Amino acid sequence: MKKYLQLVNFEFNRIVKLFTVLLGITFVAQMIGVVVQSRSYLNLANEKMYKEMMPQAEFLESFGQMSFLQIAKSSWFFGPIALCVAGVAFYIFFIWYRDWIGKNTFIYRLLMLPTSRLNIFFAKITTILLMTFGFVAVQLIMIPIEIMVLKAMVPNEFRLDLGVMEVVTSIPELTLIFPSSIMEFIFNYGLGLLAVSVLFTGILFERSYKWKGILAGLLYGALAVVVLLLPLLLHEFVLNNFFYPIELLVLEIIMGLLVLSASIWVSGFLLKKKVTV
Amino acid sequence: MKKYWKFISILVVILLSIGTFYVKSATSEENHPEFVIKTQSGDAKEIEPLILDGYYSDTSTMNYKSTNVKISSEGSTYERRSFLDQIIGQPPAVIKVYQEKYRSFMRGKGTNVNSFSETDQVLAYADVDYKTDSFHSHDFTFPISILNKEDGSVQSFTVEIPDSENMDYAFMEDVQMIEDELYLITNNMIRSSESSYDEKHVYTIDLNNQTITNDETLSQVPEGQEGNHVVAEIIRTSPTEANDHLILLQKEIKVIHDPESYREEVVKQEVISYNLATKEKESIPMSDLPIDSELSFFDGSSIYFIGVEEQEIVVSPYHLADGKAGEEYRLQLSGDADHGSAPMTTIKDGKLYLSGMQINPKLNMNATDVIVADVKTGEILFKGQITLDDSEATNQYELYLHEMLVE
Repeated sequence: MKKYLQLVNFEFNRIVKLFTVLLGITFVAQMIGVVVQSRSYLNLANEKMYKEMMPQAEFLESFGQMSFLQIAKSSWFFGPIALCVAGVAFYIFFIWYRDWIGKNTFIYRLLMLPTSRLNIFFAKITTILLMTFGFVAVQLIMIPIEIMVLKAMVPNEFRLDLGVMEVVTSIPELTLIFPSSIMEFIFNYGLGLLAVSVLFTGILFERSYKWKGILAGLLYGALAVVVLLLPLLLHEFVLNNFFYPIELLVLEIIMGLLVLSASIWVSGFLLKKKVTV
Repeated sequence: MKKYWKFISILVVILLSIGTFYVKSATSEENHPEFVIKTQSGDAKEIEPLILDGYYSDTSTMNYKSTNVKISSEGSTYERRSFLDQIIGQPPAVIKVYQEKYRSFMRGKGTNVNSFSETDQVLAYADVDYKTDSFHSHDFTFPISILNKEDGSVQSFTVEIPDSENMDYAFMEDVQMIEDELYLITNNMIRSSESSYDEKHVYTIDLNNQTITNDETLSQVPEGQEGNHVVAEIIRTSPTEANDHLILLQKEIKVIHDPESYREEVVKQEVISYNLATKEKESIPMSDLPIDSELSFFDGSSIYFIGVEEQEIVVSPYHLADGKAGEEYRLQLSGDADHGSAPMTTIKDGKLYLSGMQINPKLNMNATDVIVADVKTGEILFKGQITLDDSEATNQYELYLHEMLVE
């Protein structure tokens, strides 16, 4: 356990720079987004009300109030989130391959550590999870700050105040990242964790058998997908909708756990017996 | 410990931030207004068994998210659907009861109420099944299952649908069981060289031989009449009660092509009563009052033709047993309700329940009617309106009601 925590700490320290840079970009871009969107709304209001002499009520009637949703739907807000998602996706691969490249192949030292080699796998997957949840958590802290800036910029009567919860549940893309119930949160991110474990296994196949390993990795991935979808496929095409939805859910969870443990087992085997430096 | 500070601080941030978010989301009450059924006249006891199901959405944020709402004599209750509810889905109340009572029998049977028929002894199920490839549908069959409620035994078999070469699709409209015979009422879409048209069929199935003994076509398009087509609609019945008659509203529709528009006109309207057991067809005389098949109702002995005319609901009863039309009556709807759109109706235990379907202050609909009347005489037992309890509250919302249940 101690070795595992040390490894996680070590891995995390290696991504802290990338992590903070991405968070910084996100914060700055979203802040610019708040200012730009508020300004353009206020400019519009000024133009309509002072140049075209439109009464305030009529302006609000036809253009609506400014709310955080306008900001959250802009690419100032979504762009950096996409960048963070891409960052995590990239790092899923890089977290392994960085150990093999460079002057002194780091993996050699990692593999020589006096601990179970599976701990390396666990430490890396935990780091990916920490990074992801880190982005989610900090974004949840940023939104109220951004809402405060919006409140400071746009006068009361032109503003519709929404809470973080309302903002997050109103935009379908955001509900994917911040599901509105804890059950869905566990479900979504559990599925993500499963996908990462399958990808890790694929990477280890490649590291163990090189070119042939890529094929093995792809086959493993395909097999994982088939096993995961098996209850649904059987239900739909063979068993004539035999299962009730709740039973299907339980079966899917069992299949997910099965694939997860298979990935861990195969990865452990590859790390112990087959991986080459 | 010092070595770990980055790792520990991110862990703390994650736990606090995400934790607070979900604790808040679980405990926060969404701020929805209270709807009530305000009594205008009559006895408020009459609406105690009535439950209206619908959606409420706040239109001020433009996000079109709606919440399920139930309105009854006790006010409104909002339901936020949990993740599990979304997965399980919301089958109609009748199906839910069947699934709880006959869990194993109901497997793979879908949630179409029309596919089931219940008597004291059995629960019968029939559906239409077919295969589709890129060009046409084929292999039309009826999967049939009969559950004997007493000993729990199940009789299951499949029957091929005769003359199905030209069928595009078909669906089950009703299932009835009388003694050892099962009656399947289907709507078949037939493909012909020029066009496609619908046919209503009644298939009689002998349960002892497991064969189709009769196939009756109830409505067919008169061939060769340019532009005219016939639409047949089955008058609603209570889904759980057995009926030995089938009431069809048949409309001959003429399509009028103007240079710039296209409209339909009902040329001829006919009501046909079909006796399932004896297979006798009988035309029912009817007045020229408007009839809406979605509103009309057949309770097994009497047909209540219901239609909307201006701001009034017109009900004309017809008693099947003695073949006499009852006295027609009209129920006045309040002025600002529903701008001519039809309300919902249902009939239970000799009472007609009626409710409007939407409230939308933006369209000047601030309230909608709820009426309970004696279905035979039209005497109003209760009249009221659904409105916001607090008139000061927001006026940027929409309320859509889509189902009424009388318990």
